[in-house]
Amino acid sequence: MLNVSPRYREYETLPGINDPSIPALAPLPEGESEDTKLIVERFGEDILAAGLHNGQQVIYVKPEKLVELATFVRDEPALAYEALIDVTAIDRLKLPIPVEEARFQAVYQLRSYARKQHLMILSGTQNEDGNADKPTISSLAEVFEGAIWPEREAYDLLGVNFAGHPDLRRILMPNHWPYHPLRKNIPLGGEEVPFTLTWGDPEFETFGKQILPAESVNPVVPPGMDTQNLILNMGPHHPSTHGVLRLVVELDGETVINVDPDLGYLHSGFEKTGESKRYKDFVYYTDRMDYLSPMSNNFGYCLAVEKLLGVEIPERAQVIRVIMAELQRISSHLFWLGTHVMDVSGTGMAVMMYVTRERERILDLFEMVCGARLTVSYIRIGGVWKDLPPAFISTLRDLIAVLPRYFDDYEDMVTSGPVWQERLEGIGVLTRSEAIGMGLTGPMLRGSGVDWDLRRDMPYGGYENYDFKVPVETAGDCYARYLVRIEEMRQSVRIIEQALKNLPDGLFRVDDRKISLPPRAELDVSMEALIHHFKLMTEGFRVAPGMVYYGIESSKGELGYFIESDGSAVPYRLHVRGPSFNNLYAISKMSRGHTLSDVVTNIGSTDIVLGEVDR
Amino acid sequence: MGLEDKLPEGVLTTSLESLVNWGRANSTWPLLFGLACCAMEMIAAGTARHDISRFGSELFRASPRQADLMIVSGRVANKMAPVIKRIYDQMLEPKWVIAMGICASAGGPFNNYAIIQGVDKIIPVDVYVPGCPPRPEALLFALDKLRAKQGKETFAQYKRAELAQAFLRPEDIESLETLQKQAA
Repeated sequence: MLNVSPRYREYETLPGINDPSIPALAPLPEGESEDTKLIVERFGEDILAAGLHNGQQVIYVKPEKLVELATFVRDEPALAYEALIDVTAIDRLKLPIPVEEARFQAVYQLRSYARKQHLMILSGTQNEDGNADKPTISSLAEVFEGAIWPEREAYDLLGVNFAGHPDLRRILMPNHWPYHPLRKNIPLGGEEVPFTLTWGDPEFETFGKQILPAESVNPVVPPGMDTQNLILNMGPHHPSTHGVLRLVVELDGETVINVDPDLGYLHSGFEKTGESKRYKDFVYYTDRMDYLSPMSNNFGYCLAVEKLLGVEIPERAQVIRVIMAELQRISSHLFWLGTHVMDVSGTGMAVMMYVTRERERILDLFEMVCGARLTVSYIRIGGVWKDLPPAFISTLRDLIAVLPRYFDDYEDMVTSGPVWQERLEGIGVLTRSEAIGMGLTGPMLRGSGVDWDLRRDMPYGGYENYDFKVPVETAGDCYARYLVRIEEMRQSVRIIEQALKNLPDGLFRVDDRKISLPPRAELDVSMEALIHHFKLMTEGFRVAPGMVYYGIESSKGELGYFIESDGSAVPYRLHVRGPSFNNLYAISKMSRGHTLSDVVTNIGSTDIVLGEVDR
Repeated sequence: MGLEDKLPEGVLTTSLESLVNWGRANSTWPLLFGLACCAMEMIAAGTARHDISRFGSELFRASPRQADLMIVSGRVANKMAPVIKRIYDQMLEPKWVIAMGICASAGGPFNNYAIIQGVDKIIPVDVYVPGCPPRPEALLFALDKLRAKQGKETFAQYKRAELAQAFLRPEDIESLETLQKQAA
């Protein structure tokens, strides 16, 4: 069944022209930091390598000691890595690894909120029954609750078995999917596009095959649910799930006992696609992940690649990027507000209509700079696509002059409304320790009393130059998250005001012809520019072997990109840490004990975008 | 001459078919069903600036039983395909489908293991809208095209459609074999 295996496509240049050093392994970390020193002192021989790589703390640990190490870094007061941000794995089949090393490697991203530190832990896997196709590694679910879903994802997409995981099922792909799609021996899949139908051409052998029989199967009751209670299926087609999310809800009367989200109805294979596209080509795909904030997605991806490349971005480009990212935050939060109010408070479409009025004005601004409303691809590797058009600044000034007044209007409509308060206060409560343990980020974290914002605490893209407040609420309920998001919009306006005041002149993208295109006018006079243009468009640029994790504060939370480069022009492993994915994990905890109607409130309050959850 | 002369003022005559088509074309209720990025533009088409209600399509119905039009707004994942098929089957005749955006029309940039290359592999499509995503104006234009199509429909067509049972079986899905069979 489902034999979707077209010819292997070479996106690289002709074989033979390639540098003989490709593919190459990422170099081992060098030097040491206080944290790695402490860990090496404690674990000694069990740490294979430790130090700094691309400015990040990296630890390579033996798989037997992984759980012990994770427990140690969490509990040791001098380290206090209290949150697990992300788990993924790398299939190193095509890398020149020594024979004794494991094919699969698990990657963990840990965060210390108190000490503002980030730690990457890598560990090889062990082979179950000596079978190299069955990699296994100890699960960290006992240490960090936030590992449960990312580990399920790594199992689903890469087939890494996490021993001791409480609930190791597929999470994105259908249950009967025949393989683990992100493994390197599995082709990208897809269909050859027949422009002319010439029968018998083997090029079209996959045409029309990529389809499952469109029969609906009886849903499987998730483990831990009791069929004595009422099992209610909500979604994937449901007006209040904000997309194609399916929730299996176990009910006793109208009280929710358990919720099991079923994801993957919008799984689009972003990671696999990214691993077959050149670095510069994946920018366009990032737009389509969190389609409510494409600018932020571009921003995070470009920052990650620029970190690998080690390029400095011109001042003007940085300020333009900040303006765009903050406008995007406002537009995303506006849309969240509209849909949330529509779901919850019974004011119907009114607020939705008002917020889209402002959102359309923001989209107009995007259209002005790049010609697109949603799929912008404006922020590119090395800067931005084009300079701001002349009318942009004055139009933006007009908009931000009126925005705070509009925010006041919305607050007048809902903030102290009795229905709104009744439906949000005390609903979906997450305590501080729960929020940290589950690896929640963004407003979900700040609504639970954790004073953390990547823009302020680990500044990127020039955010250290702006003065803004990070709103924090301690109640941990839906109302607290609502207040946080409203205040974030006001702070975004402040950031944009400062950025406009300090917008410098200069280049809007880096003047390095190896990574950014030469200006069009130069092509007419310079042969060298033409060659650079041709090489960039046909081959892209190569990135030195290495790995990087880069997280930015998107409107939903921490949007992280993990990239491993093997020295070629295509990322070897590209993993996206979608904030909605990790935040959605909390829905079960938030909804238990409340009524069914509160599940809808919780979905709205989590602010999910399914394109990012499923990727 | 004819009937019009004998009728009092203010009474028009027309064929029943055109009357029915007029009614259908001017109150096509879409299904409240969003998939991906295009759904955001579909929502934008419903809000104040673009105002889809000028064309009588502002009532997005959450139940397929009450909807006439399915706007497939976004990429169709393998896991979602059976669901879309089922929702389409639940809609009552007459029903129409707009494939909004390149992903729903032909897979778009996602030619990979996860995405079905066009929703027309599982359900019949009336209007394809290009764009990634199409602007709200493009969706309104597609509705216009659909209205033109609706205006030309006849009762005989419905009868035929009923007989043919527009349900698609797995073996009917457009594949190389079926195309070869048709060509032979």
